[in-house]
Amino acid sequence: MSGPGFYIWMSYGMAALAVLADVVAIAVRGARARAAIEEERDLEAQD
Amino acid sequence: MNWFYLASPATFYRFAGWLAPWFFGLAAILAAAGLYVGFGVAPTDAQQGEVYRIIFVHVAASWMSMFLYFVMACYGAVALTFNTRLAAMMARAIAPTGAMFTFVALWTGSFWGRPTWGTYWVWDARITSELVLLFLYFGFIALANAFEDPRRGDRAAALLALIGVVNLPIIYFSVQWWNTLHQGSSVKLTGTSMHVAMLWGMLLMAIAFWMYSIGAALTRVRAIILERERRTHWVRGLAP
Repeated sequence: MSGPGFYIWMSYGMAALAVLADVVAIAVRGARARAAIEEERDLEAQD
Repeated sequence: MNWFYLASPATFYRFAGWLAPWFFGLAAILAAAGLYVGFGVAPTDAQQGEVYRIIFVHVAASWMSMFLYFVMACYGAVALTFNTRLAAMMARAIAPTGAMFTFVALWTGSFWGRPTWGTYWVWDARITSELVLLFLYFGFIALANAFEDPRRGDRAAALLALIGVVNLPIIYFSVQWWNTLHQGSSVKLTGTSMHVAMLWGMLLMAIAFWMYSIGAALTRVRAIILERERRTHWVRGLAP
């Protein structure tokens, strides 16, 4: 399967990478939102 | 169940957090089953040989790219009509995953086209309209984030999403309306000429992508809710 193998791997590999990137983007966005809330909490505590 | 109760971001935040892991789990199981059927059970295609196995990711991603756009536009319509915050947030949460599946559909189509048509890209009606769909997703995301006031961004992006819906029948019927290099639909409501294992592999992958999309949208909308509601009492009361 050397010929078609390249095209199949490139397809499934990129699909897996794209899903992984989506998952990471979601996790980062959630972590940033929680960090922003924590930051505001800390600022309020200082006041 | 009182559905209006769930329209409150505070309630939906907890509800989405409880539901999302189940959808991610289902997606993983169904994707594993789909890949097993696609690579282990489905026979080699008589004309295309092994390379046709790209179908299991390509068709599922293509279906999802169109379906997610439709759902996103529906949420946009609800947000515009009833001025509901959560519907606008859901539309925003769906867009990146929809764009991702559109990219995957184009990429996998390209790598399927090279060994079968002899080219990675051709400006054929189906492929071009799918590329327009990717630009519509990008436009939605850019427009939603272009305003200082997120509610104005919600309305502008929802309007674009609704206008862009006209592209969906163009994608779907392009292979019938124009003489395209892209093949016609393999699965129709009236039936299919595919081998049953090929059909099951494709359906399992499509449902896996669908479950993933729900899990991703629910998880992303939780982050959006936190961003928007971070100064509210209930968010301040959340455990760190």
